[in-house]
Amino acid sequence: MSWELVFFAVFSAAMLLTGIGVVALENPVHSAISLVGCFINVAALFVMLGAEFLGVLQIIIYTGAVLVLVLFTIMLVDPNKLPAFYVGKPMQRNVSAIVGAILMVELGVAIVTRVALEQIGPHTNAMVDQMGGNVQAIGQVMLSEYALAFEVASLVLTVGVVGAVVVGLPNRLGALDTVTMSLGHSRGAEDAIAAGPKFESPMNIPAERYVAPVGERKVVMTKDPDKYTHPGETSK
Amino acid sequence: MDLTTNHFLFVSAALFVIGMMGVLTRRNILIVFMCVEMMVAAVGISLVAFSHETATINGQVFFLFALAVAAAESAVGLAIVVALSRQGRAPDVEEMQTLRN
Amino acid sequence: MGDQPIWITFIVTFVIMIVLLTSMAYTTWYERKVLARFQDRIGPTRTGPAGLLQPLADAVKLMGKEDLIPEAADRKVFYFAPMITFITAILAAAVIPWGGTIELFGQSVNLYPTDLNVGALFILATGSIGVYGIILGGWSSGNRYSLLGAIRSAAQVISYELILGFSLVGIFIITGTMSLKEIMFRQHETISFGPFEIANWFVLSQPLAFVLFVIAAVAETNRAPFDLPEAESELVAGFMTEYSAMRFALYFLGEYISMIIMSLFASTLFLGGTSGPGADTYWPLGIMWLVLKAIAFLFFYIWLRATLPRFRFDQLMGLAWKVLLPLAILNIALTAFFRLIGNGQVF
Repeated sequence: MSWELVFFAVFSAAMLLTGIGVVALENPVHSAISLVGCFINVAALFVMLGAEFLGVLQIIIYTGAVLVLVLFTIMLVDPNKLPAFYVGKPMQRNVSAIVGAILMVELGVAIVTRVALEQIGPHTNAMVDQMGGNVQAIGQVMLSEYALAFEVASLVLTVGVVGAVVVGLPNRLGALDTVTMSLGHSRGAEDAIAAGPKFESPMNIPAERYVAPVGERKVVMTKDPDKYTHPGETSK
Repeated sequence: MDLTTNHFLFVSAALFVIGMMGVLTRRNILIVFMCVEMMVAAVGISLVAFSHETATINGQVFFLFALAVAAAESAVGLAIVVALSRQGRAPDVEEMQTLRN
Repeated sequence: MGDQPIWITFIVTFVIMIVLLTSMAYTTWYERKVLARFQDRIGPTRTGPAGLLQPLADAVKLMGKEDLIPEAADRKVFYFAPMITFITAILAAAVIPWGGTIELFGQSVNLYPTDLNVGALFILATGSIGVYGIILGGWSSGNRYSLLGAIRSAAQVISYELILGFSLVGIFIITGTMSLKEIMFRQHETISFGPFEIANWFVLSQPLAFVLFVIAAVAETNRAPFDLPEAESELVAGFMTEYSAMRFALYFLGEYISMIIMSLFASTLFLGGTSGPGADTYWPLGIMWLVLKAIAFLFFYIWLRATLPRFRFDQLMGLAWKVLLPLAILNIALTAFFRLIGNGQVF
């Protein structure tokens, strides 16, 4: 038993347990915390494999950015609207267990019977050390051999950011349900008043302009005088 | 007993299967999303393990690109969840069937 | 090179931990004293000479208080959230170099706990895990103010971590390494500037990056004028509204430790670390220079707190994404361009 094996056992056991936690915990926030633990252990395995740059990136990008955003979203979503904890219909559950078992056996057989790759590549440990370390070696390969893929990855990220902004804009998907009304003048109030009897306007609206409620609408009030919902815009 | 690549591959496969079962059984879109990220990380362990075994750096570079794509995917996915909750709809995979038929 | 038996590493780490924890307590004293001077007061005087026992008195008081847990709190998360902030803040000290390898009692001792190949990124990584302490603490309190503080903090830390990372890229381009030790020893060299020999501190070759780094570091540690997560005039105390006794102290001390770490980090990256007169021949002088630089940084932190009003949240995010990020990218492009000129690959 080498120390490496002990460390490997500890890290991978923690990783798998927290991984199970993600699936099995009821509260989504607890699942997310469990996933944080899982990813930190994945980063530890990366470091064991001599990929310390990826280990740190795994923590900075996944744990530091993506999961913080997930937590952010979980906290913003109305907890009463979250689907109840539900491990599928019985059929679904059984199928997933069977498929999972089959896949695990299949992968296990593949791993056990796989022929070890004998060709040793150009980046032996001495070579990596000579280049100055893992970071330098990755940089060298990524910006020469994979330069095109690198550019495409930056394009994918740009498209992702633009897509996220477009999808997340309040007036795209949400246009049917929200009405924006600016404070300080009555522009946008026509539709806001139609939001239903539950809504009380901060201004006095004459009775003849009162429109009967069309349905439940969410009223957003803004300080910006130009951001009101134009009449007719929401009554599609 | 020494540490070999197979150990890492087994752990990676197990994490992948756990993530897959999560995707198949949970209804909350955010949990499904987290399970998908977990599967990506599992594949990453395999890539890095092979990279270590063959003493090439390519596996690590592949995972770097996977990381970039996963980050972009998460941005779009979370924007969809935010848009859904703006509409007052639940983040439930079984109720998201607007595009059915 | 730095091969040493593991027990020496343990001793070095232990000494650094003790020094760090003590200096953390005395940073609170330092802040009180300096802040008092700014406001024309004299600060703590009753406990010991010049109030030097004040941190001890505070610790005893905080330990003696009742540990309250709100009814609506998620107890488990509420328990361990402050520890995340504290532990990750201390963890970052592992890669700060205090000098090279020295001979002490016939043993060669490394004055750095570890020399990671990705040391600079390691500090960013610990910072990005540290934000979980704030988010989870705010969420688990079951309080609107806390949740708002947590959400603000998440947005703020993600935005400013980007700038913190980007401002370092110029240095990585110049040195070709991310190891803090190597970056520091590059600054021990001198360059000739006309008739003068001046130190090769990166604040001279990367002034824009230094300004960006300082701004981002203040935001990253949630200090005034970027202390939006705990803005007491709007959010009571933000994410730590519901915390009391030792759990509150963990948050409080975690903030001071990250201030100290950020000061040491900035000194190492931009102000030459242990570089200074006599530091190359006599190692305690090097440590003294590093400590002096860090104290100057801490003074700057307190000066900002005493002088500037708090930003509004949209101003904060606008500053990060519309001003600082383009400047950081400009800095990277300029540095890369000059590096190419220096290599003779352009013109």
